[in-house]
Parts: sequence; structure tokens; C-alpha cells
Amino acid sequence: MRVIVPIKKVIDSNMQIRIKADKTGVEDSGVKMAMNPFCEIALEEAIRLKEAGKATEVVAVCVGNQKSEDVLRSAFAMGADRCILIVTENKIEPIDVAKTIATVARHETPGLIITGKQTIDDDNNQTGQMISALLGWPQITFASEISLENDKIISRREIDGGAQKVESKLPAVITADLRLNEPRYASLPNIMKAKKRTIESATIEQMGIETKSRIKIINIEEPPQRKAGVKVSDVKELIEKLKNEAKVI
Amino acid sequence: MTIKNQARAVVIGGGVVGASILYHLTKYKGFEDSVLLERTELTAGSTWHAAGLLPLFNMSYTVGKIHKNTIDLYNSLEKETGQEVSFRQTGNLRLATNQDRMDEYKKYVGTANTLGVPFELITPSEVKKLWPLAEVDDLVGALYHPTDGHVAPVDVTQALAKGARSRGGTIHLYTEVVDIKQKANDEWEVFYKTRDGEQGSITCEHVISATGNYARQTASMVGQRIPVIPVEHQYIVTDEVPELAQYREQGNKELPVLRESDAQYYLREERRGYILGPYEKGAPARFEDGVPETFGKELFPGDLERLMPHVEAAMKRVPSFSSAGVKDIINGPIAYTPDGNPVVGEAYGLKNFWFAEGFSFGVTAAGGVGHYLSELITQGDTDLDFNPISPLRFGDFAGRNYSIVKNEECYDHVFITHFEDEERPAGRPLKTTPVYDKLKMMGACFGARYGWERPNWFAPKGVEPKDINSFRRTNYRPYVAQECLAMRDSAGLMDLSGFTKFEITGDKSHEWLDSVVASRVPTKNGRSSLAYILDKTGGVKHEWTITKVSDNHYYIVSGAGMERIDEDFIKRNIPTDGSATYRNVTTQYGVFVLAGPNSRKILEKITNADVSNDAFKWLTQQTIEVGYAPDVRAMRVNFIGELGWELHHPIEYQNHIFDKIWKAGQEFDLRLVGIRAMESMRIEKSYRMPGHELTREYSALEAGLDRFIDMNKDFVGKKALQKQQTEGLKKKLVQMEVFGLQDRDTGPNEPIFDGEKLVGRASSGAYGHRTDRAFSMCYLESKYVSIGTELEIEILGDRFKAIVVEESPYDTKNERLRG
Repeated sequence: MRVIVPIKKVIDSNMQIRIKADKTGVEDSGVKMAMNPFCEIALEEAIRLKEAGKATEVVAVCVGNQKSEDVLRSAFAMGADRCILIVTENKIEPIDVAKTIATVARHETPGLIITGKQTIDDDNNQTGQMISALLGWPQITFASEISLENDKIISRREIDGGAQKVESKLPAVITADLRLNEPRYASLPNIMKAKKRTIESATIEQMGIETKSRIKIINIEEPPQRKAGVKVSDVKELIEKLKNEAKVI
Repeated sequence: MTIKNQARAVVIGGGVVGASILYHLTKYKGFEDSVLLERTELTAGSTWHAAGLLPLFNMSYTVGKIHKNTIDLYNSLEKETGQEVSFRQTGNLRLATNQDRMDEYKKYVGTANTLGVPFELITPSEVKKLWPLAEVDDLVGALYHPTDGHVAPVDVTQALAKGARSRGGTIHLYTEVVDIKQKANDEWEVFYKTRDGEQGSITCEHVISATGNYARQTASMVGQRIPVIPVEHQYIVTDEVPELAQYREQGNKELPVLRESDAQYYLREERRGYILGPYEKGAPARFEDGVPETFGKELFPGDLERLMPHVEAAMKRVPSFSSAGVKDIINGPIAYTPDGNPVVGEAYGLKNFWFAEGFSFGVTAAGGVGHYLSELITQGDTDLDFNPISPLRFGDFAGRNYSIVKNEECYDHVFITHFEDEERPAGRPLKTTPVYDKLKMMGACFGARYGWERPNWFAPKGVEPKDINSFRRTNYRPYVAQECLAMRDSAGLMDLSGFTKFEITGDKSHEWLDSVVASRVPTKNGRSSLAYILDKTGGVKHEWTITKVSDNHYYIVSGAGMERIDEDFIKRNIPTDGSATYRNVTTQYGVFVLAGPNSRKILEKITNADVSNDAFKWLTQQTIEVGYAPDVRAMRVNFIGELGWELHHPIEYQNHIFDKIWKAGQEFDLRLVGIRAMESMRIEKSYRMPGHELTREYSALEAGLDRFIDMNKDFVGKKALQKQQTEGLKKKLVQMEVFGLQDRDTGPNEPIFDGEKLVGRASSGAYGHRTDRAFSMCYLESKYVSIGTELEIEILGDRFKAIVVEESPYDTKNERLRG
């Protein structure tokens, strides 16, 4: 069974995000970039399935600009068998990515597509669901545990107030939640080997996908600064402040 | 918190250095209200991504002293402030895979000894005991510092901030300094803008710039240029390493920091994994045109390719490193300077504006710099020779492009063997004299000082003018010897045009000079003499050769690296009413030294002036013509101890004069002579050298300058000298002869022992080729200074017999000079 893992390159989660002067987006030139953490979890899970003998091939697919190659090198270093880059220099939205991945899936006929539940840049949480709809496959979102048994997938998913155990037939789309696993770090020899691997590549146009912006960004702003706290002298003052200032009780 | 509009001192920059300065300043009376302004958060910039290492190893005495002070502070900081700083004294191992490297360590041991830094030179099998997870078969040995270690830079900064606040200091975050102005009354006004758009200013007596990546931007606010430009530094953080985890679970202590200098990396433990930090080739300078408006607590993308040679070396050394998962590659800006030392001290010509910039080892230096700089600011003096770190050691020549290549070179050289005779190639030649090309064709092997190209030695025909660097006797030694012998037996010619030169004129010029120097100022026209300017403790700040050219006209000459230091002093002290004025004529005059027994015969051929001994005495000056060149100031002084003249000439005549001398000299065996020969000859004459014998660490009396100091007049430092006279000197400079040297020569910083007791340190040393004896100039404890005292000097790890001898062993009575 083949597993496809869509991968996205995002600003490293440890970096302080700053907004472009014209407020149309965040500054990403010269900033440290990395694989989206949820994509890493998805990839780790795919690699583990292969290591457990449940999958035969792990294919990482990235839709993005030419520079996104870096994250696919990281995918190789972690243990992906093949990497595919679908190149576009256009601004893309979840539906573009979903269409592209679905097209790749029709070629590659995987048994599973594991995506991260969302990317940490735009926080859309849409791509996995859209892929599932485009392909007409079942979806298990927010998976925090999965196991494969007799062509079925059994998964625990995170829901409000607890966990839900679900079961689905294959092929299916899974979106990975934070607790699914702790991804491995690639070793230096593997990182170096990954530099020499061949990345399969095509343009998004060659895939027959037309990208067009459906969403207009009007303005991006920083969240308001947290104000410094104050010390209260006694319980009475605390209650008074909670009631009248914070208005929470 | 509202920002007050008055404070005694304002520190700009909340990195570990700024925080330490505030911490120390607030310890002094009157400075408790000092303020620190930080444009974003504490540690943003470089501190937050620093690896936190505390290496004591440093070839510079001043920097070594600073680092030692830091360790002492970090040891007590946690207890004082209650803030955990994670100071781990794991020890530090510096590996040597070749003899040159081992020599470097042995050479360093001299400095370590004199500083009192604990160390051991150990064998490969001892390395294995300390670092069982390392391969040691190819090692020659290692230098072990048991008290080195690492610390958490962010925690240290917070602890320092906490300490400062507890004494009344205030810190304002998200408050960016936008301008700095000096008022007519010398007070400073620091203008700021907060994140909320609030604008205002603080009026203060002192401003301290500790702005890291912003150093050049801050400096430009006050019209200064400093060569601080950051360079990218990367380190790799690994995941847990099973072998290491197992080793530690067996109850073993944390491994020492491992430095493989020959492969240019450091490796230390971090949460059962490793941190590997290489100093790789090709790391680029950053922010040469300023830090982008938006750069805060950020990193650059990692470039593993650049690190690979070092990574591979580390894998060989520590096999368990190869299987480790790479958690992160941290690539951030670290401030650098052309020579690797920080830039600390009062800014050129600006009262009470202080730099604490250019720290490539900021966490290691912060404690000590805070201590010494705060003492200097608040007390006016401190027990540290600031010259090696002074902003004044760079001149205007250290511009943007020069600093980029030099700082990149410096990064690349962090682990390159620090040979004492090393001349780094980047950014050269920059300042050249008109005869540069000629000297080059004639075999000059150049070195650079203060940007000036100066011939170190001359290669005869068929010999490549190139240094093979070594701590031992090496390729150029025979030619240096020949140059010395030429000076003794025939004649030599040197180009010393890089000398710093000033003219002082005006009605009060004599009066003013007399008021600042501790020496007698020549009163007769045409007389020259050495004069010293001291600090409060009697230490030597400046050495000037003062020549009275005519009434109310003096000519001052000092060393090539002293231009800014001297000019800064003059600017600050010369009367403002115009009664005495100065002119910097450094680049208007070239200087040749023509010396040796045949020098008079050569000069006679090319001048109409009477240069006989009766008409032109030692220590006098006359303006003469040489060839067709008029206005040549000929001075019968030199730094080598032979009959001879310094010919200070208008620079435009330089080639003409050179050609005349060279042609006339042919029949008298005239030879070109370089700096290294001069060094040997001046030591044979016991002539003191600023930066070596003459520093603020030793008083003028300890340096044996008694005959140049006029105790009958008032001068800065007199009280300290009088006190020393009554109490007796603790140490004193002596000339020692060293015996039994075969493959090496004497040099600076070597320790002197009486049995096992350390009793002094060498300030300089060289082989005296004219006398065929090895000499060392040493500061010894007073009880050892009588002639004939036999002690031992340690050179590259071995002890040699050293005996105190009479000063000026070559031509003790100066008959040659007077001849």
C-alpha cells in the first residue's frame, strides 16, 4: 500500500512573525523556514506504517514554489521514499492544494492520504477535508491514533470533550492531530543523503489545475499587546476588579 | 511604567552585555538610578541564541582578565539574585592533532599562568578518561580547563536585570533609541520612541552603547564609525543520543566542552544530546548596512552544506554524533570586529559616550566588561589595560567594506592557530606609503598595523617573501639576523612612515605640553626627548618623542597604532582658547630610518648639511635638504641603538629621497631592514615598547622610566608614584638573558619561576642577533630584580635558565648612538 503525505513549507514555529509593512501578509524573506509541524506528524505516521510492514511506499507531495524543495529534502531525510514537487509561483488556497493532491492521488492510487490537520501559517484546516470530498473517499479528521487491520483503518480522533473511536474502509484521508506521534529528527548522514535524491516535479498547470484567488485579504494585523498585570492587595480588591474591571463575574 | 527624563547613565541595549553594565553601574553611589532602554525584549539580537559557552582560553591578556572576572561573577550570581543561571563548570578540552597546535596551547599557558587561570596540558589517554565517547588515537594532546563550562545566556541576562532592578535600576522594553545628542553643557540627551508611539528623551551624564547588531547604527547617531559588523554563526542541536544517555545514566558527570581547534568546532552536551558549533569558511557578514527595521528575535535559514567538513570531523571524533537526530540548526548574527576583540571604552573625542560593542563571545565577556567599564565610568579609572579593546585602536580606515572582509576573516580564524607572527591577509594592502611598490619589488614581506603596510623583513633574491608561521624559529629568522648585523656593521634603511605625528603650535604650546606630560619638555630649539603621559595610578598611557622645532612649535611622534589614542587625548585636553593648537600630520610626513656605522657617510653624500658629530649631536633635530628635497626634519634618534637619523620628510618627496639614499648607500653595504629586526634590536637596548613594557598595568617607576619622569613638577599620576617610592615597588622591569634555547626564541607573556613559584612575566623577548644572546624583558617581583639573580623562564612548556643582566646589553654606554 502506498501512502501519500502532503507537505507544506511554513515559517519556523520558533520565529517571531512580523507583518509586512503594507499589511498584506507576513514577512517571509530571509526568515527561517521549516516543514509545517502537523505535516511532520503525518509523515512520521506514514513512515511508521511502512516500518511496521503495513505500507510499502511513502510519497511526500508538496505544492508550492521552487524553494519548497527544502522541505521535501527534509522529508527524504526523515524517510520518505519518493518526493514530488508541484511547482507554482502563484498564491494558492486550500482548494488549489486539495485539487492538486487529488489529481496526484488519481495517478498514484494510494491506500491512504495522511495530511496534517492544518498548517500553522494560515490555520485553515480545510485541505484534508477537501481532498476527501474531491476523491469521494472517507475522512478521519484530528486523528490521534491509528491502526490498520484487514483493509480497515481504526482511529481515535480528538473531539470536544474527549475522544472518539472510528473505523473506515480504505482508501481514506486522515488528518493528523498533535498527539498522533512525536516525529523523529533526521540524522546528519540522512540529511546529507537526502541532498542527492531526485525530486519528481511538474508544474501545477501541467496537472491541469487552474489557480485563482477566491479570498481577498483586506488587512493583516498583529494581535493586541497583552497589558502588564497588576498586583492586588487582598481578596476584596480582586473580586472588585473581576466584577467591575474585567467584568467576568 | 513612565520613563523618567533624568538619569545618571543610560545604557542602550538589553543583551547580556547591556544588562551586565546596568547591573554593575547600579552598584556605585550616584548611579543607582541608571536606566536601560531596549528596542524589543531582553536578549533579543544575539544573546538569546548564544550557545552559552564560557571559554577562558584567550591569547590576549586584557580579554583573558575580563573572561576570568566573568566566571567569578556567574559563580555568585545565582546566590545573589535567586535567579537560576544554569552555570555548569563542566571543564573544557581543547584537542591538538599537531605540534603547532600544541605549541599554541603551551604558549597560551604563559598567559594563563600570569592570569591565574587553572589549566592542565594532558595526554590523549587522559582525554579518553575525560571524554570516553571520543576517539583519541590521532591526538598529540590537549589543553584542559577545569573551570570552563557553560551557562544559560537568557537566565544570566534576567539575573543581571534582577540584580540591577533591586538596586534601583530601571529597564524599559520596547523602547527604541532614535537619536542621541550632546548638549552644550556636555550632558547627553537620549531620544526614544516606545512601541505605543510615545516619544520622549532622557537627559543623562553618561551614555553606554551596548547595541550588538545595531552597533554601527548607534555609533552613526553620534557621528562615529566603528568596525562592528555581525557574521552568521550556526550551531546544530541534536536529539537525545542513546550512547550519551546511557553514559550519563551510569552516573557519570556531564562531559566537558570539547573543542577540536584543528577541525574548527565545539561540541557540548545539551539535554542528553549534543550541540555542535563550527567556525566554518564562507560565513557571510550581515547587516553591513544596518539591521532591517523589523528584525527582532529572529534567525537566518541554516546552511548545512557550509558546515559539512566540520560535521564530518565531529562524526569521526565522536561516532555517536553521527546517528543523532538533528533537532535544529540555529543560524544567527554574532557581532565581530576586524581583530576579534570587542570595542569597549569611551568614544573617540566624545566625553562620556561609551561603547561596549563587538562581542563575539558576549556571554563570556559580559560580566568582566560590566565590572571594568562601570568602574572606569564611575571612578575614572580601573585596573585593566583598555588599549587592546579600545574603540581608538581603529581609525577611519576601518570602514564598511574593510570591516566586512576583516570580520568574516576573523570568524573564519576563531580556531586557526594564533601564531604570534601571524599577519592576516584580508583587506590588504590598504594604507601604503609611496615606496610600497618599490619595497615590494625589493623583497619586502609586509605586515599590517593600524591599516599601514610595513615591511616585517626583506627576502634576498631567490627567497620567497612569505612567512612560514611558527611559535618556534622559522624561515625568516636568518634574514632578520642579517638585517640586524647590517645595522651593526654597515648600514640599514627602514620605512617607518606609519608613525603617528602631530604638530603643536601656539603661545601656550610649551606650557600645555608641560602640563600633560610627566617628563621634561625640551626647552632648546632642535632638542628631542622622550615624554610620558600617565594615568592616576602612574601607569603609562602615552609615549611621545617631543621635538622642539622652534619657539612655540613642537613636533610629536609616537607609534603607528597610537594615532587615535593620542589624538583623542590631545582633543580632550588642549586649550580651547586657541593658545595652543594641534595638527595631525601623520599622513603628511614619511619617515625613513637610516642607521648603522656607515649612515653618516651615506647621508653626507646626499645632503649639504653638516652631519658631523660636532654639528649634529645625538638627540637633536635639524631641518635639512636631502637631494633636491627640502624641509626634511632629520632627527638623531632611533629605536635600535645605532648611529643614525630618522628622516621625517614631506610625503611627496619620499621616492626621491629613497632613491638618493639607496644609490648613495650601495658602496656602504646599505641593507633594507624590517620591523622584526627592529624588535630584536630594541630589546638588546632595553627600549620599552608601548603595549608591551608600557601599559597601564605597570607604573612608570615599575617600568624603569625614572630618568624620564620629572618628580619636581606636577603631573597626573605623581601621587601614585610618590606612594610607590615611599612604600617600595612590588614589581619591576628587568632585562634577563635566557640560556639553552635551541629551536625557539623568547617572546611576550612567558612566565618566570623561582622553583615552582611564579615570580613574574615576560613583556617582550627576542634573540639579540648583534650580541648573539637571547633576551627577555620581564616584570619580576622586586626581591628578584638584582643583577645576577638566576631564575627560570618557561617557553612552550619547557623551562630555561634566565639571569637578570644589566640593562641595554648592546652598547651599554650608548657610544654608538653618540658616535
